[in-house]
Amino acid sequence: MAAYILRRMVSAIAVMAMVGVFVFLLLRLAPGDPAAIIAGRSATEEMIAGIREQLGLNDPMPVQFIRWVRDMLGGDFGTSIFAGRPVLELISQRLEPTISLSILTMILSVTIGVSFGILAAWRTGGLVDRLLTAFSAFGYSIPVFVIGFFLIYFFAIRAHWLPVQGYVPIELGIGRWFVHLVLPTVALSLGYIAFIARVTRASMLEVLTEDYMRTAAAKGASSYAMLFHHALKNAGVPILTVIGISFAYLIGGVVLTETVFNIPGIGRLVVDAINNRDYPIIQSVLILTSGLYVLVNLAIDLAYTLIDPRIRY
Amino acid sequence: MTISRRHVFKMGIAAGLAVSIPSVLRAQTTPTVGQTVRMVKGDLRVFDPIWTATNITADHGAAIYDTLFSLDSKFMPQPQMVAKWGVSDDKKTYTFELRDGLGWHDGTPVTAADCVASIRRWGQVHPGGQLIMARASDISTKDDETFTISLKDPLGVLIDILADLTPPCLFIMREKDANRPATEQVTTNIGSGPFRFNEALAKPGASVTYGRNDKYVPRKEPSDGLAGGKIVNVDRVIWDNIADQQTALAALQAGEIDYLQSPPVDLFPVIESDPNLELQVLDRGGWDMMVRMNFLQPPFNNVKARQAVLHLIDQEVMLRGAFGNPKYFNTVTSIFGDTTPVSNDENTGWYKKGGDPDKAKRLLKEAGYAGEKVVILTATDWSAGDNASQLLAASLRKIGVNAELSSMTWGELSTRRASKDPVENGGWSMFITSEPDYSLGNPLASPFLLANGDKAWYGWPKNDEYEALRVKWADVESLEERKALARKMQKVWWDFVGDVRLGKYVSPIARRKTLTGLIGMPQIVPMWNMQKA
Repeated sequence: MAAYILRRMVSAIAVMAMVGVFVFLLLRLAPGDPAAIIAGRSATEEMIAGIREQLGLNDPMPVQFIRWVRDMLGGDFGTSIFAGRPVLELISQRLEPTISLSILTMILSVTIGVSFGILAAWRTGGLVDRLLTAFSAFGYSIPVFVIGFFLIYFFAIRAHWLPVQGYVPIELGIGRWFVHLVLPTVALSLGYIAFIARVTRASMLEVLTEDYMRTAAAKGASSYAMLFHHALKNAGVPILTVIGISFAYLIGGVVLTETVFNIPGIGRLVVDAINNRDYPIIQSVLILTSGLYVLVNLAIDLAYTLIDPRIRY
Repeated sequence: MTISRRHVFKMGIAAGLAVSIPSVLRAQTTPTVGQTVRMVKGDLRVFDPIWTATNITADHGAAIYDTLFSLDSKFMPQPQMVAKWGVSDDKKTYTFELRDGLGWHDGTPVTAADCVASIRRWGQVHPGGQLIMARASDISTKDDETFTISLKDPLGVLIDILADLTPPCLFIMREKDANRPATEQVTTNIGSGPFRFNEALAKPGASVTYGRNDKYVPRKEPSDGLAGGKIVNVDRVIWDNIADQQTALAALQAGEIDYLQSPPVDLFPVIESDPNLELQVLDRGGWDMMVRMNFLQPPFNNVKARQAVLHLIDQEVMLRGAFGNPKYFNTVTSIFGDTTPVSNDENTGWYKKGGDPDKAKRLLKEAGYAGEKVVILTATDWSAGDNASQLLAASLRKIGVNAELSSMTWGELSTRRASKDPVENGGWSMFITSEPDYSLGNPLASPFLLANGDKAWYGWPKNDEYEALRVKWADVESLEERKALARKMQKVWWDFVGDVRLGKYVSPIARRKTLTGLIGMPQIVPMWNMQKA
């Protein structure tokens, strides 16, 4: 097991290095000049040239690359071209909102998605199954910005129950933190609930037709025991995989929700950085996110051993 | 498994509780926001108002820094940090004395040395500042509160340039900050202005917070434009960067923010129908939209081709296509804008309602146009400009021009416009941009009014006769003399067609009616004087 984990950690570093090279080249080869954006619309060529020089953007690409790698190996992820602040400081400011939203979304999605999936599989072909299948199709199809504005209109503008937008750090009060995340969590969860419910239903249906389930029923096992002790445990691996992938995707994929609800998270940070060509931020966020993806996948693989004793590394 | 009525009842109670808990929590935890104003102005990406010429950074600068002179509501320069100033009989030496009570946010006093360093740094990048530096033989301190600017030759517009609102404006910084080159960003955010920047709460890209500078000593005169006493009536101002305009408007409607800088035109009816909200035009000068043409490449290296575009344009159609609501736009025929003191009607006979496509076609033929490709750069992230570009391309095609739109982001356009190559090698023929109407009143400060070839702004217009007139601007002192000079310059400009104007638009801000006292000036939206009920 330890050797396996070590191998995966080494592969994580290799993935991050490849992402780093790719992102660096992609950004330099793409059109757009941060100096021109900084200088403003009416800026003169002279002003832009001065800023380019000061930022080191006139240096040859290999020189810029070596400088960046050297600094990063020393723990310095660089300074934002625009804000003039350390990239790690900016990323750390944005982590809490994204992680908060991701965790709440996963809690809601897994709780409801798995429950819906089990219920649909248990009542397969019936009204409940059809209703839940229709809900899944709806949840999976409707874009988050549509449901987002719908929720804002009814629950924030009309009913005044919840705030329209923004994020309050948890240290300023769990109540304020929570109410600011209710609408974004619901909006973001719909798609994940649908996805998890569909996978759970399919996995459960497969298991429920197995011989040992019939045997369990013949031996008089209760519905609860059959569903949760026998079926769910055996259907768990694909469900866990989906949950893991969803969580990894959430970390980097919440940008639309963060934009609609004005949550200052990692997604917004990187999209703004791309628009502004703020190279150090884009490079750092993508490298760290790729490392996180590898780690989440590793965690999922290790979790398999908990629910399926046949899996060993 | 069966579901009983009792189960349904329990689930109903649980659901009711779940729905009501958030509003209960919210009611218990919402803080008092009486003296906090929340504004949505955009994304404050850069904090140094000399390093960048963007308006939002100029707003930031106006909050935390102070200026030597400020323009009043009639655009006349008035002393701000300066208590007294005078000029020698030969008009070559200006002496400035700072007023009492000026202090930096770090507790140290403002000195003349800070002012000298700030002028030198600003003079590296501001066109008017560059003129001062070129004319100056010496800028030095006499004592802690007095400094002088000595000139090789008189410069009649010196005070006007020091007070100029065209970014980068002359904000006075600490000497140790201002000693940095203008191409290196200052990130300390320590000024002597009426607001203090709250570093602890700064989240670049998300929100920035300003607190009232309780030690600021305002001038005694009443507030007038940007001049007079800068009285701060609120404790704290927060700028939220809400990227989505629909969300920003919802937040304004819900009272979560008080001010929205640039509501989109299609949401104006929603704002107008809300009894708690109001649209207000703060900058009555607005922005002039114009077509820049590449003087170095065919076909616009030929004056007849440029004249063809001038006669072709139907400003009303362009403006309607770009902005929709005629309440917020109007046509413009003066190169000096619509609202500046030197705006005039010299040599504007080319203007015709609906344009003159027949004449444009004739001029194009006289130019010897032979179907060369005309590449129009358009930034899709500036919807008004993009709409106008589409209309421009359509108008050109109607008179037989082989017009091709090249779509990109403004960032990409900013890079591509620097290319002087032919269109086949990545060059360009035209692009649409805009400039504050106010800035067009000063041909020394606005890069759009240069016609000195390689040194001019993108498009590189060149006309020696015009330039000879433009440089005289620095030496005229009275408004009447400037008006006369402006007429002469405009006569030449519209003959060689330095650019083509598409009209002027104003962008109202949206605010809650509880927020009052906003000062309406071009370029800068100051935060002093405003009040929140």
